[in-house]
Amino acid sequence: MESRSEQFKNDIFEISAEAGDARSGSLQIGDTKLSTPNLLPVVNFYAGGTDASLYGGGIHRTIKEFMNGDEVVNGGDYSRYFDGVMTSVASLTDYGISRERYEDYIAAPIRERDVFDFNGTLFLDSGGFKFLGDGTLDGSNFEVDVDQEAIVEIQRKLGGDVLVNLDRPIEPDDDYSTRVKKARLTAENVDEFLNLTTQDDTRYLTLHGYNYSMLDTFLTEVEKVIGRDRVHREFDGVALGSLVPLKDNKGKLITAVSDCREVLSDWGFEELPLHVLGISSSAIPLLAAVGADTFDSSSYIHSAINGKYDTSLYNSEPVDDVDFTECDCQVCSDEMLVERMKGDVEYQKDKLGAVAMHNLIIQKEEINRIQSAIQSPGDDALISYIEQSLGREKSMQQHAHRVVNESLGGYF
Amino acid sequence: MSTTKTPQVNEVNEFLEIASDFEDPLEVIRESLSNSYDAGATEVEITIRDRPIGSEIVIEDDGEGMDHADLESFFDLGNSTKRGRQNGSIGYKGHGTKIFYKSEEVLVNTTKNGLNLRAQMEQPWEKLNNRTMPEYVLNEEAVKEGNSGTHIRITGFKSGHGFSPASLTYNKIEHYLKWKTLAGSTGHFFTDDFREMEITVTLGDEIDDTRDQLAMNNKLEFPTEQREPGEGQFSESRMCKHYPPRELTVETENGNTTTVEVVGMVGGKDARNELPTYGKHSAQFGVWLAKDHIKVERVNDTISHDNEFLHFFFIANCQDLELSANREKIRNKSSPVYQAVVEELSHYLSKIASDPWFKDYLSHRRKAKLTRRAESQQSSIEKREQRIHERNQFTPSNDAEVVLGLERSNRFGTEPEITVEDYDPSAEVNALVRQDTNLYASSIHCQLTDHFEADKPLESVDKIICWSYGDRDDLSELERSGYHSGEISIDFENERLIYNNGRRHNIHIVTVQDRL
Repeated sequence: MESRSEQFKNDIFEISAEAGDARSGSLQIGDTKLSTPNLLPVVNFYAGGTDASLYGGGIHRTIKEFMNGDEVVNGGDYSRYFDGVMTSVASLTDYGISRERYEDYIAAPIRERDVFDFNGTLFLDSGGFKFLGDGTLDGSNFEVDVDQEAIVEIQRKLGGDVLVNLDRPIEPDDDYSTRVKKARLTAENVDEFLNLTTQDDTRYLTLHGYNYSMLDTFLTEVEKVIGRDRVHREFDGVALGSLVPLKDNKGKLITAVSDCREVLSDWGFEELPLHVLGISSSAIPLLAAVGADTFDSSSYIHSAINGKYDTSLYNSEPVDDVDFTECDCQVCSDEMLVERMKGDVEYQKDKLGAVAMHNLIIQKEEINRIQSAIQSPGDDALISYIEQSLGREKSMQQHAHRVVNESLGGYF
Repeated sequence: MSTTKTPQVNEVNEFLEIASDFEDPLEVIRESLSNSYDAGATEVEITIRDRPIGSEIVIEDDGEGMDHADLESFFDLGNSTKRGRQNGSIGYKGHGTKIFYKSEEVLVNTTKNGLNLRAQMEQPWEKLNNRTMPEYVLNEEAVKEGNSGTHIRITGFKSGHGFSPASLTYNKIEHYLKWKTLAGSTGHFFTDDFREMEITVTLGDEIDDTRDQLAMNNKLEFPTEQREPGEGQFSESRMCKHYPPRELTVETENGNTTTVEVVGMVGGKDARNELPTYGKHSAQFGVWLAKDHIKVERVNDTISHDNEFLHFFFIANCQDLELSANREKIRNKSSPVYQAVVEELSHYLSKIASDPWFKDYLSHRRKAKLTRRAESQQSSIEKREQRIHERNQFTPSNDAEVVLGLERSNRFGTEPEITVEDYDPSAEVNALVRQDTNLYASSIHCQLTDHFEADKPLESVDKIICWSYGDRDDLSELERSGYHSGEISIDFENERLIYNNGRRHNIHIVTVQDRL
């Protein structure tokens, strides 16, 4: 029988430690290396503006300044928090740019632009979650039909390390036939995606489903279109989507991710890295414990925009009530940035941008703790981590117990 | 001018007050066991008899005995020599032994370090109630070194109402000892050098003659584990899982901590019954807070509402709990210590409630219940089958079967054909039937008399369809006395009921039995 290591075309993912279903390892793509589990901040590299404004984006621009370590944010080195970044083709379609600007945006890969000092791993989502009724994204401003072909071209030109096929996310209210129909449309895109890319690309297959049976049906539909052999050979990773509407229901998120791992295992994909699209914050420890490898998050920005300063993955305070001396993160240790967060600033983006950077650091530090807990010998460190963090939050307790029982062998 | 005054204590009233808190002769045993344990005893014998003047309780142990100072503190109030709480002593307030004052006589005979002391106190309770401080007469005598121990005899103990020794049984005592005294200690789960004590209780034959005596040690031991379901209808009933001893460190306030030593089990009814239970399980099981590893009070709300506490038996010991004089209640409930202990316990128990084994146990419980229900359905089917075999002809036992009988009569060709077009069992006029081409408002019953028993109107009914008339005498009575505000007459021959309440109603009676 074919051994598992031969089953996949390139081993970008190396697992170095496991605790129950949780795993820690590294994703090596080209010259970039990302330790897992990890959280990729969502960064809008292109947000309507020009190179003079780091291509714009208000608070997104401030985040890019932090990523670059620009003087305008006091020049600190924040690059370690941008070891991996998620961006989406949708960030081009969202800002109503002209054809000319579109051409400019895709003229050179992100990492090669002087304006960005970014050396991390770049995940490039297709933006399927912003779909139009005709199966394309709205590229009318720059006169491009943003279909699977256009998306691969954009992903390539932006220099994405990880490319994701164009997909048709499902909704919680979708009935069986609607889900199957969407799976078939996604499968057709997958087919085209594989034709347009090569084995030299790092390709993630998007999966959509909330439980084992839905995911199995989805994969079956994909297999019908592209054939069993290609399903098994051509992908380097899996991205589980459609979970954003469930983001407040931790129980359903756990089911989706742990069932996804089970489906992947039954389909012989268990060693592929699993990315969970669009879910972050307090769900991270639970989902990492049941086997998710990477996450992406824009919640650090959304919280900041809503004036929320995170004190942990589970709690936040209104930014105007915060005692910044209680946090020793890089942002809160910088007097200039603290003054900005206190409101001594001309533009709101500079206040909230600093808060967003702080929020991102909180999430990144937590993911580091999860990594070390998984890397500690045995399961006890991770059990103890989950119990001491989530297990103490009344609303999270039952979910914490569940993952300890289901993934880590239980307490007794 | 200023003067300094010292508040005075009314000693007699204090004694009276403290002793009054105790009502149950079993509390005498609890206090004695604690004293014997604190005196290093390895064997204690307790004898209870029901005498005409009240109960006689004798406690004898092989502990180190008492010297003058010990004896003084035995009789004094709030003067325990164990105040330092060294060596894990249980008593330290000097309250417990005051329960003995509630009697006709206290006689203490004790030997320590070659000195035998004999103290006799007569009529302590009567004297206290007469506001006189009772005294005791002390005799001493040198004896051989090496013999030590204490013998206490309480004569005429004044039990409170409902606590008469006559109501004691060995079962009740065994339960009490294991639930409320150090005989049910969970200390042995937490230390390697636990000191065992043999306890023997003898009840006079006039109280319980079902056995000679009761012997036990001072350890609470859980029924053996059985994680898998058994056989039979109540397969989950003997399931039992132990949850090993855990020491939980709890932060209280200002950086202080306390320790909660928790151990327990979850089990079905049969498993729980292997413990010395007495009466309702709901009064005995759940989560107990303990001090000195002796259970004090339950905190069942630490188990979330959807996990019935009944299946749980957990004992959480914390030495920082403070108890009332009679040890029945925790006193420092508003303290941060208590709050923190309860919170930590809730967290710990939420882990038990989420244990897959527990969920499995509940699921077996549910399945066994469903199986029992299915079995009872089966047996009901068998009974109904038997009834069918035994009867000579189809006989309806409810209105719906009368409808089926009517349809059957149509099938057999009985004239006139009457078909049910609409049947609503909840409506007063429960059917619309067709005869020839007309629809008739009808009332369908097993017996004609049922229509009247149900107090249904006759005005709107064209037909009453029944299996049979029912008791004809009842119908005759209706003819005699009338129905609602009208008169009734029944023409059995022509199957007609005439109802006259100012308007004449002619109602057709269909007896289905006669159509078959």
